[in-house]
Amino acid sequence: MINKPNLNNLSGIYILWYREILIYIRNHIKFFTSIFLPVLFLIFFGTGLKTVFPLITLPYDFSEFFFPGILALSITTMALSSTMSIVWDREFGFLKEILVSPVPRSYIALGKILGAATTGIIEGALLLLVSPYLGINFSFRLYFICLGIIFLIAYGMASLGICLTARIKRTESFSFILQLIIAPMVFLSGAFFPINNSPLWMVNLSRYNPLTYGINSLRWAILSQTLSPEIISQLTTNNFLTSLGILIVFDILITLLSIQLFRKMC
Amino acid sequence: MPEEIQEIIQVENLKKKYGPIKAVDGISFIVKRGEIFGFLGPNGAGKTTTINILCTLNQPTSGVAYVDGYNVVSHPDEIRNSIGLVFQEITLDDHLTAEENLYLHAMLYGVSRKEFTQRKIEVLKLCELWEWRKKRVHDFSGGMKRRLEIARSLITQPKILFFDEPTVGLDPQTRKKIWDYIFNIRKKKDITIFLTTQYLNEAESCDRIAIIDRGQIIALDTPDNLKKMIGGDIITIKTEDNDSAEEEFKNKFPQYSIKKIGKELKIETDKGDEFLPILVRGLKAKIISMELRRPTLDDVFLEVTGRQIRENGNGIVEKETPSFDLSNLFSLFTPPNNNHDKQTKS
Repeated sequence: MINKPNLNNLSGIYILWYREILIYIRNHIKFFTSIFLPVLFLIFFGTGLKTVFPLITLPYDFSEFFFPGILALSITTMALSSTMSIVWDREFGFLKEILVSPVPRSYIALGKILGAATTGIIEGALLLLVSPYLGINFSFRLYFICLGIIFLIAYGMASLGICLTARIKRTESFSFILQLIIAPMVFLSGAFFPINNSPLWMVNLSRYNPLTYGINSLRWAILSQTLSPEIISQLTTNNFLTSLGILIVFDILITLLSIQLFRKMC
Repeated sequence: MPEEIQEIIQVENLKKKYGPIKAVDGISFIVKRGEIFGFLGPNGAGKTTTINILCTLNQPTSGVAYVDGYNVVSHPDEIRNSIGLVFQEITLDDHLTAEENLYLHAMLYGVSRKEFTQRKIEVLKLCELWEWRKKRVHDFSGGMKRRLEIARSLITQPKILFFDEPTVGLDPQTRKKIWDYIFNIRKKKDITIFLTTQYLNEAESCDRIAIIDRGQIIALDTPDNLKKMIGGDIITIKTEDNDSAEEEFKNKFPQYSIKKIGKELKIETDKGDEFLPILVRGLKAKIISMELRRPTLDDVFLEVTGRQIRENGNGIVEKETPSFDLSNLFSLFTPPNNNHDKQTKS
């Protein structure tokens, strides 16, 4: 087999990515709820819990703490559920059309991952616009740093989703499995409460959770505007660079795994 | 080597096994450039498996196949770039419009945007979908979806088009229309078409057809030549007692063949119109109805598949084993006695 770099194949990645975006934007209900639900969470959950932990007991504003968690939760859900399109395509026969084409399997997987990750970024970018109303000081620089971290999280979660689609062949089962995966991942990531103060077994489990490092990174980036590093390190398990590094390593490994599984599936 | 190129598909002793099941059992054939070649056979005969192997979606267990001069096992990429494929089931994206579906396909196959905008107009007009290009596929009828798939397969300007049962699940009117499109394409473009079907009347319009059954090709020729195999005309009669009528016929007219098919007797003769009065006068059996007609592919199909059954067991029809037999249970406990078992089974 001759392995020559083929520009045609790159157009394959592009078009699969493009299709994913097109479907996301065209599905108005999904688009609307994907933005509206997290905003609801932020407004009601955030304001509601603020009354339980008033400013006196905490050295930080609760919504400031809460925002990165909700952000990560939303983009995780978004990226993972976007990969469901593969299961869906398989059920309706369209996957065959893609698999028959000369585009290599690894490129197909990449196109799907990037597409699902982008839906996460779109959602994240819109949610970040809400943050000034929650009292977070936002600069352009911070906005783009956050987008970068959001991409890393969404990309990793999309790859994880591809791994799942290789095993789960039916749409109904897939959405249940997703909930089963998202819930523990979110609870063990420190999205809703600082995981540091939890029992040791939870802290230990959270170390194996990629989302922990995603939320760590987001928190460092956003909270460092107003809080001192000492307080932030109480709210996170690792420092910024370590968290970011682990997240990137996770992304690379899960990409390789998802391509491998995707190849095997076909 | 112009001769080699003339034969756009070459298949030799192709076999595909799924475990113990032989889906394709040693088939060989050649498809010439520019012809419409039909694969005719019942469900599960091995048609789709053959197409999948030729389109490099499936690997053969043994045997060789060349498509446009390329080996299907060693050069799948070259082949995929020179073929168009329409599956048995619809493989369009419901979310997208007709045009977007075409665009997606073009991009997957590396067609440049400039070429795409030119070809898009041509194929959409050819399949009469130009007015519908901005509509979502979700709202299309079954026939329109099929036409769009045909249009899509043409966008890469393939040398060979593979159709796997292109008309399955469509109503007769739409089916006829789809065929009109397929012939129209062949007329307008220099293209080879390989298709499978289980409808005999559809196979009739192919240049050549191969009849496939149980993974083997049992006849391969032009439809006309296949019909000539039957020889002359066909008379079907229905009598009050078919068994005795068959016996009587065999005694009185030993030169003609007679066969019992369902509740009718089928007679093959050379000059049916002249033989009919002789038959009526000669036969004592009480005739309920009779019909004289030219042979169709239906008859060919019965003829070739029928002969195969006779070849199998020297005229003895295989006995159907009961679905639940207590003796099978006992065989679980006794050590396998190979010789005895094999004899009873075969």
